[in-house]
Amino acid sequence: MDDTFSNYGLYDIDEFLDLNLPNIEIKIKKISENVFSYTRRDSEDDLIEKIIPIKSSKLQVELCPIRPLNFPAMRTSFMYLDIDTPVFLSEDSSATVFLRCPIEIGVFLVHDNHKDSLDCFTCDPLNSRFCLYGPPESGTLCKYAKTEIVESYDDSIPFINAVLKINLQNQLSKGLSIGKVVFQMSENSIYYKDSKAIFDSLFAVMKKKLTIEIIDVNSEKIQTDFTLSPTYEKIETVKRMDMGVE
Amino acid sequence: MALEFISSLSEIEITGGLTLLTLFIGAIIMAVGVIVARTVRILFAKYYAPKLPQDSAKNFGKLIYFGIIILSFLVFTSTTGVDFSGLLVAGGIFGIVIGFATQSVVSNLISGIFLMIEKPVKQGDKIEIPGSDVSGTLLDISTFSVRVKKFDGTIIRIPNESFFTSNIRSLSSTPVRRTEAMIGIAYKEDIDGAISVMDKEIRKSMKYVLMLPKPEFRINELADSSVNIEILVWHPRDDWDQVGPILLKVAKKALDDNGIEIPFPQRVIWNAKD
Repeated sequence: MDDTFSNYGLYDIDEFLDLNLPNIEIKIKKISENVFSYTRRDSEDDLIEKIIPIKSSKLQVELCPIRPLNFPAMRTSFMYLDIDTPVFLSEDSSATVFLRCPIEIGVFLVHDNHKDSLDCFTCDPLNSRFCLYGPPESGTLCKYAKTEIVESYDDSIPFINAVLKINLQNQLSKGLSIGKVVFQMSENSIYYKDSKAIFDSLFAVMKKKLTIEIIDVNSEKIQTDFTLSPTYEKIETVKRMDMGVE
Repeated sequence: MALEFISSLSEIEITGGLTLLTLFIGAIIMAVGVIVARTVRILFAKYYAPKLPQDSAKNFGKLIYFGIIILSFLVFTSTTGVDFSGLLVAGGIFGIVIGFATQSVVSNLISGIFLMIEKPVKQGDKIEIPGSDVSGTLLDISTFSVRVKKFDGTIIRIPNESFFTSNIRSLSSTPVRRTEAMIGIAYKEDIDGAISVMDKEIRKSMKYVLMLPKPEFRINELADSSVNIEILVWHPRDDWDQVGPILLKVAKKALDDNGIEIPFPQRVIWNAKD
């Protein structure tokens, strides 16, 4: 871990704040009474600027991991984890594995016990891609990530990924290799502490449904002393168009 | 007083059995019919229309509204006791004349009904009509025509009959789409090396190109001056504009950066010796 990176968490800003993340630099500074400016610059020198008028003289922001569903664009809520070394489960056996799963970073404006989505970005844009699970005519569009098995919840890479625990259970009468996991990410919350991040765990059961062999993947809430990340909601101006003709 | 007034109305005959009183009752029936039709349309729009596709909801609304008004008119005609048979005969002949004159209008109307029943595409779908220059977003299917918002921002109105009998290519019915491009490399170049550098550059710089199915490279032709390689990439269906227009640029950049020649047609001319 690079010690020069900032941590996740709440930040109170009186005059200015500099946040240093992998490939990203964030600057928040007071430009006049009750008005702050927010600037984010990435490694390719792309710049995002926002002006934040607030009621009080202090600004509070939260920097935290969020689900990796917004970059390059919000198109799906499914995640496809491609495990680099498949896990083999013999018949009627179970195992627990920890996988790295990518994250995005959200910046939230905190006021009156409420958190507003201010900005979101990825520190690893080259690995933020889509894929298709299933055939082109009826498959499911997913976010794609090549992932690896790690030892524990402590093995997340700050601002790049979080650790996801998967309980695998094989109820079939034959051994199987599991090389990918596809699941609906919107059901999994993210928790953070300092620079570590973890996801709610998954419970994947390989079983027979009538004559078809399926993997049933469900999300499970975890008990942790980590802080729950807020949900990022993209706020955009939507121009509605009346498409009807009377 | 009121009874006297009503009886006086019943005595005033306008034409064969139609008195002023029956006309007055008919007007009341029609007014009630219009009020009921409007109320039912409002209730339909509030409670049921949100559950239906937008264009179907609008057409159902019209159907209910005009259905109730026609029903009111039928009630009105039956209460008056006026013999409309002469009118019907005249109407029949008139109908044939009008029918010939409005053939295309009726044809569009019937095509519109079939379009609403068959639903080959729905409102908001991106469509293309091969063989014409129509491609864009379907705005609505109405009684006589279809409106399409073209990608250049203009709106084109297509008569239902013409739309119904055309081949329609839906660009929105699947979650992903494929985009193709063709690029040529010199004969002296290593084909696998060229494919490898293009593959890497596409994965690196085209964030909407899917990782699975992987970008595909096919040797399309051993052409006069070049080995032509076809590039096929998949992307989310709504992101063609992030992929199609720049695919060739990215492929060329990859070849240029790695010193791989993209040849242009050359002809060697030998002069005969004197």
